[in-house]
Amino acid sequence: MIPIQIVLISAVVFGAFYMYLRLRNNLVDAILIFLFCGVAVFFILFPDMTTKIAQWMGVKRGINLVFYFITIFFFFLILKLYSRMRRLENKFTEMIRENSLKKSEDLTDKAP
Amino acid sequence: MDLSADNLSIFIIVPGFNEALVIRQTIESLLAKKYSIVVVDDASTDDTRKALLGLPLYYIRHLSNLGQGAAIRTGMELALEKGARYLVTFDADGQHDVNDIEKMIAILQQGEVDIIFGSRFLKGAATNVQATRRVVLKTARFINYLASGILLSDANNGLRAMTREAALKMQITENRSSHNAQVQNLVKKHQLKYAECPVNISYSVYSKKKGLRNINSIRILYDLILYKIFR
Repeated sequence: MIPIQIVLISAVVFGAFYMYLRLRNNLVDAILIFLFCGVAVFFILFPDMTTKIAQWMGVKRGINLVFYFITIFFFFLILKLYSRMRRLENKFTEMIRENSLKKSEDLTDKAP
Repeated sequence: MDLSADNLSIFIIVPGFNEALVIRQTIESLLAKKYSIVVVDDASTDDTRKALLGLPLYYIRHLSNLGQGAAIRTGMELALEKGARYLVTFDADGQHDVNDIEKMIAILQQGEVDIIFGSRFLKGAATNVQATRRVVLKTARFINYLASGILLSDANNGLRAMTREAALKMQITENRSSHNAQVQNLVKKHQLKYAECPVNISYSVYSKKKGLRNINSIRILYDLILYKIFR
């Protein structure tokens, strides 16, 4: 095992455990996290496998295939984050609105 | 408040953000016509409230700046709660002409349309729109058409009038300037009958400096795309 493999594997395993403990996921999430972790560790240990899969899919090098998948993954991640942000913004707006409507005032008798 | 008198059942909603210098003048011109007025202060950092003290109007203040669309929705909710029969949105910076409101309300009172949009490009409107601004607005018009399926001659005009029934359906969720496209969208969705009315716009040095700059259209387009994806 070469040093970089040790670094990457520790990072992935640590990340998976951190997510599992921190987020208190339900069973499906836990399985997904460890499945993802397992796949990552597998490819770190046997990097040539990515090239085999890549060639089977018509891509020359394994690293390119990984890059394509990461691009798609991040694209979806950004979309998901945006939709969550918009939901939060809507909630925030509703709270501000409710508060301001409650405090609405008639300025007629307020002396300048 | 007894709404039967004069124009009190006509509610003018004035969203404002840092307009303390001119808002009192705008409001006084509206009060002269005996309309009910709702000012929505979108968390201004100037003394907007102080500038309005002593005037017979409803004042609402957002605790945090949300945008023009959000301010209009807040104002509409209060107006509906207070029993508004007609609702008009009117910019605080004094670019609109108070006399246009009567024309628009008269059209609504005929009962043929539910909502009426002000347009600075229709025949009969006296404006001095800059050439670059004209190009931006014309482009915005087509983009809003693509997004909503309704083609207006002036897509981003702040002066609009609608009936109570139409206002109840105007659930604006777009906080910023993309609300213009959303309003068109809601018109289409609820199959409201709409019309346009020529309105005067006076671009003062003040409103030019304070109003939307052309470059903001990029942000609006961005918001609009997000709205279409995530609504």
